[in-house]
Amino acid sequence: MSLDQAKQMRQRKKQMNLLLAFMLVAVTVWSGWETNFSFYTVFLGLGEIYRFILYDFLPPDLSALRVLISPALDTIYMSYVGMVVGSLLSCLLAFLAAGTTSPYPAVQAVVRGLASVLRNIPALIWSIVLVSAFGIGPLVGTLALILTAIGTLTRAYAEVLEEIDMGQIEALKATGAGYFQVIGQGVMPQFFPGFVAWSLYKLELNVRASAIVGMVGGGGLGFMIQKGLKLFQFKEVCMAIILVILIVFGTEWITSKIRERIL
Amino acid sequence: MSSKWQGEQALTLKAAQLAAERPPKPKKDRFLLWMMVFGGLFFIFSVYQLKLNLFVVFEGALTFLQLLTEMFPPSFAQWKHVLPAALESLQVAIIGTAVAILLAFPTSFLAAENLTPHSSISYAIKAFASLLRAIPTLVWALVFIVAVGMGPLPGTLAISVHAYGMLVKMFAQSIEEMDEGVLEAMRATGAGWLQIILQGVLPTVFSAFLAWSIYRLEIDIGESTILGVVGAGGIGWELVHAMRMYRFDEAFFVALVIFAMVYSVEMLSNRMKLRMKNR
Repeated sequence: MSLDQAKQMRQRKKQMNLLLAFMLVAVTVWSGWETNFSFYTVFLGLGEIYRFILYDFLPPDLSALRVLISPALDTIYMSYVGMVVGSLLSCLLAFLAAGTTSPYPAVQAVVRGLASVLRNIPALIWSIVLVSAFGIGPLVGTLALILTAIGTLTRAYAEVLEEIDMGQIEALKATGAGYFQVIGQGVMPQFFPGFVAWSLYKLELNVRASAIVGMVGGGGLGFMIQKGLKLFQFKEVCMAIILVILIVFGTEWITSKIRERIL
Repeated sequence: MSSKWQGEQALTLKAAQLAAERPPKPKKDRFLLWMMVFGGLFFIFSVYQLKLNLFVVFEGALTFLQLLTEMFPPSFAQWKHVLPAALESLQVAIIGTAVAILLAFPTSFLAAENLTPHSSISYAIKAFASLLRAIPTLVWALVFIVAVGMGPLPGTLAISVHAYGMLVKMFAQSIEEMDEGVLEAMRATGAGWLQIILQGVLPTVFSAFLAWSIYRLEIDIGESTILGVVGAGGIGWELVHAMRMYRFDEAFFVALVIFAMVYSVEMLSNRMKLRMKNR
């Protein structure tokens, strides 16, 4: 009897999985159909892509380094400033957004909503909107990165704060520790590893994003890539892309070293 | 009052003594201090280099507020263009991720150190994947636009290439996390490479593969909303178009749709994560 039931349940689960798999395939096929995607077209285009990358792109124009070095540095500065300012503001907001430290539930809801809006609109979209108010330049890129940083980090920090072991706080309070002592001795040691980990993660994201925000006028390497492609200076673009890769890898190397030492 | 103060002073003294008696961990603290000092200096240097000026920020903020008033209320007039474009973004994300999964699935077995036929193959695939990953999706889109023209195709290819770079790494990592004993036991029975994969590896890593694929789809839906900005299909173009025409209320509607797309994906994935946790 129970064996029968188990068999039936297993069969039903199998059917459900099959149905789910079928739906996934159907959605994929539908997407491919609607966007006119075909492996045949891609296959035909492969030769062109190959030719383009091999002959038009390579080798990179090393002499362009002179022009590119300052936008490359701008890219680094933008992502770093975006991370630092974003994380400082997020620290304040996180205290309002965490269920354990928020003074009023209404404040918590508003801050969380704000963070969600900032987080769920991509940095590039923020740049497009900000460009019309702030004009072209690295300021726009920096602001866009700050906004998305606030969105991501406020939520992340708030979650770290909510996971803090309240027993330790309680114990500290019982010894008669004041507010700042509780924060300094009880909250900070527990908050710090999460704070560092998330900030470094956001720095990595920023470095990738800062190469992009330039394309709509946010300054940095993205602007040079966009400009170079419009002027058909492909070898210069190739150099710019190599710089993007170097910056991304460099940042990842540095952040991993910091993580190893601190966490 | 003064006695209380004295008492507190005694307490801090006591605390200082206790701190001094604590086992020292100066190495970490000194590193942290240096990091903080260097980070602070680099921050000031960066701000200086970017020529960020609070006055300009303030001025721009005022213009931006004025812009916001022009954005309200959002205009739904162009919904006939905007909603299909949003759908196209979604489709580009789905097909792009699907292609990446299809390509990453077989290569990840060659890239995993415990299954690869030769360690140099594993190394080569991983290096190639990290190269693909390091170039942002939008840059890939720009390159593909030059190669195959505008439209959803370069967007799809860009998403596939970048997603492939990540999925191969994650798939291979899940395979490498497998229990070596299982593989050993299967090799002892004389099972071939393909048999080991089909019978031993696939059942173990399937759920991890699925989780990574869904996670990647989430990222790609976010990415696909911005691809249109450079002309690679989807809703991004509608926003650029509206902003260029100074139709800020229409731009606001497009921004709302983009927000709704990314937000609903975030909500869905949060619920799925919760369900996986509870299981």
